[in-house]
Amino acid sequence: MSPEFSIEMKSIHKVYPDGTVALRGVDFELRSGEIVGLLGENGAGKTTLMKILSGLLPPTSGEIYYNGKPVHFRNPSDALKLGIGMVHQYFALVPPFTALENILLGQEKAGRLSPLDLKGAREKVKALMEETGLSVPLDTPIELLSAGVQQRVEILKVLYRGTDVLILDEPTSYLTPLEVEELFKVMRRLKAQGKAIVFITHKLREVVEISDRIQVLRNGVVTGKLPASEATFDKLAIMMVGKEVIPQAVRSEAEPGEPVLKVKDLYVMSDFGTMAVKGISFEVMAGEIFGIAGVEGNGQSELVQAITGLRRPVKGEIWLKNSNVTAFGPRKLYSLGLSHIPEDKSKFGLAMNFDLAENSILGRQWEPQFAGAFGRLNWDNILKFTDRLIKSFNVVAPGVRTPVKSLSGGNQQRLLVGRELSKEPSLVVAAHPTRGLDIASTVYIRELLIKMRDAGKAVLLVSADLDEILELSDRVAVMYEGEFLGVGDIKEFAREEIGMMMGGVRVRK
Amino acid sequence: MRWLRALRPILESLSAIIVGLIVGSILMVFFKYQPLKAYAALFKGAFGSTGDILETLAFSVPIMLTAITFALGVRTGLFNIGAEGQMYLGAIGAVAVAGLLHLPPVIHVLAATLAGMVAGALWSVIPALLKVWRGVHEVISTIMFNWIAYHFSIYLAIYFLAQPGRAERTVPALPTARYPVLVEGSTLTAVIFVAWAFCLFVYFYLWGTRAGYELRLVGENPHAARYAGASAKKAILISFLLGGVAAGLAGASQIIGRPPAWSLYATLGNVSSLGFDGIGVALIGRNHPLGGILAAILYGALAHGGRYMEYQAGVDSEMVRAINGIIIVALSIPELWAIIKRSIKR
Repeated sequence: MSPEFSIEMKSIHKVYPDGTVALRGVDFELRSGEIVGLLGENGAGKTTLMKILSGLLPPTSGEIYYNGKPVHFRNPSDALKLGIGMVHQYFALVPPFTALENILLGQEKAGRLSPLDLKGAREKVKALMEETGLSVPLDTPIELLSAGVQQRVEILKVLYRGTDVLILDEPTSYLTPLEVEELFKVMRRLKAQGKAIVFITHKLREVVEISDRIQVLRNGVVTGKLPASEATFDKLAIMMVGKEVIPQAVRSEAEPGEPVLKVKDLYVMSDFGTMAVKGISFEVMAGEIFGIAGVEGNGQSELVQAITGLRRPVKGEIWLKNSNVTAFGPRKLYSLGLSHIPEDKSKFGLAMNFDLAENSILGRQWEPQFAGAFGRLNWDNILKFTDRLIKSFNVVAPGVRTPVKSLSGGNQQRLLVGRELSKEPSLVVAAHPTRGLDIASTVYIRELLIKMRDAGKAVLLVSADLDEILELSDRVAVMYEGEFLGVGDIKEFAREEIGMMMGGVRVRK
Repeated sequence: MRWLRALRPILESLSAIIVGLIVGSILMVFFKYQPLKAYAALFKGAFGSTGDILETLAFSVPIMLTAITFALGVRTGLFNIGAEGQMYLGAIGAVAVAGLLHLPPVIHVLAATLAGMVAGALWSVIPALLKVWRGVHEVISTIMFNWIAYHFSIYLAIYFLAQPGRAERTVPALPTARYPVLVEGSTLTAVIFVAWAFCLFVYFYLWGTRAGYELRLVGENPHAARYAGASAKKAILISFLLGGVAAGLAGASQIIGRPPAWSLYATLGNVSSLGFDGIGVALIGRNHPLGGILAAILYGALAHGGRYMEYQAGVDSEMVRAINGIIIVALSIPELWAIIKRSIKR
């Protein structure tokens, strides 16, 4: 008698080498011929769990059973041999190769020097396309195909290897609504052919529409398992983000003043050529923290880059105090009082091989106290200033002339935050300011942001960490697929309501 | 511990030298030469007498400058190997002003020096603009420009600048345009002070000015540079142009600052490969203008002392070059490794 589930994962734990605990005893089951939705916000552990099932990561502890027998995967090809394949969120295709070549990549049944059997392979791929309804132009280079078609190539690539268990990680991230419909049709067809599909997502509507069963993860723990027929948006939202009320940090009531930042009907393009920000308008007042919640990849990065001068908007206006700054670069914006704590400190905010002193003037290098006549750097002042930053922002560092890469992440962020907040800004834009930091630095940086607010600065906080948004914000907006689903006073929203909007369900007008 | 970290590059270079010497001696033993005798001759040849030291220093002048061309490129995130061609043009510019114009003494030297620097810079403009406007990779464009410069310079040397009656070389620099020889009988001239001053200037520019800071920032982390409001295009242009000036000065130094020729051979024989040698010198000097001065002296010592290996220890000149090459490669490895690591990370 064959077991009820074709795949069973039992009590899976995963601790990353850096000490991050991603999974704390997760069970997961899958039958053939069903679609299971795996729901959760950033860092819930969805992708980690499925990387373990597809052999990409070893679990720290726990067992995997395949048709009732325990199995151990050393690498993805072990999993593929049993018919388990994963399509990742970020495509792994070779842009100048044709679709056919990409599908065959790694599966060429030929010696190193003997010619490829392209003809036979083409017939097989064609049959596969026929069977699944996934059609792609086989002879077009990948770089000329849209994201939706590239995704089909990825799926074909996995199916061509004889997959019975198909894992799709956030497959609808870069798709248009029409392409999502197409994808769902294909998924239903594959299901009818007896394949099992895991659908990783944070989108509530989609998970309810396509799944047979839904499993919800939060902070590495299973918070819900239910048939899709019994799922409601608010039930799922509570499972996804929890219900507990986060106390607002101890502080006075906000006393908002004049608007400092005004964003009007803003459109911003992503690197993939899709519209990442679709007509957003909002204002941030002096003396308030305006929080933007949302699962990452819903246009927050592009929005922040547009506001901070790193990306030109396609349409719309940005006003800082009384100037239209829509086309301004970073330098002009800084001189008008912008402080920017970027989302990726090692990419934008710091030069890792530069020392503390050189990093303490990054973005401020033309200030008269640092650069005098003929652009001569005033090292006396720079070193004194760095010393002051280290002392007043509690940066632990061996010396001002040490490369910042030798500092811990928390201390790097303290230096960066210190540099930005000591500018006497009128607007502070903070993107994921505490991501990946130790608890002490997290608390410290959150306190600093509140201090800025109390000193009458306008603070725009973007964070995928819902707790952080709830703790710090006076007003909040939830961003989903490039739009704000709700904007209002933080007290107006219940936690699960924000969770539903993060999953794309608008609660009220 | 702090002084230890500061010493690390020097310790690395020293161990690289030792490795290079050992590998070189293995090679010599294999071909039945006597390594110890050969190395003694090398050292004695390079530093054995005042005259030898002066000669070693004379060898160091052009390559410390072409090293700056490459080092500036690396500091901006570029692999600018155009020094060779820019150096040819610098030599041509110096020949034209020093040999054809008649100017008062001091002014003539300055004008010829300047002509070399400007010609070198001009030759770097097109690769620079191609990079900034069209994103053409600098390795491709500078290699192509090196070849164009090679044939163009030979053409100019033969058809416009040749010394009447002596077609194998150009008109010599007039006495008013020559840097004074420092010690009678040596080939070291006062042009070495100009080269040192230029290295110091570049050092000050890179670490003492805002523009230099931004240039290094662009090379270190282009995203952070954008965040900091620094223009990558401007940094790349400056890096190319200043590198061209350095290479042009290197070429000029061989015309108006290096006896006995005081002119350019029509084969370009008295300047060829000085631009490429600068790459090795820059790597040994850790892409630092002051490190380049020391590395160039070491390189000059190998070039000059190598001749002694040949006639004192009986090592064939091809073998001398092979051994010098091994030492240079060993010395370049630490910095080369750092550059490779950085480009992989990107």
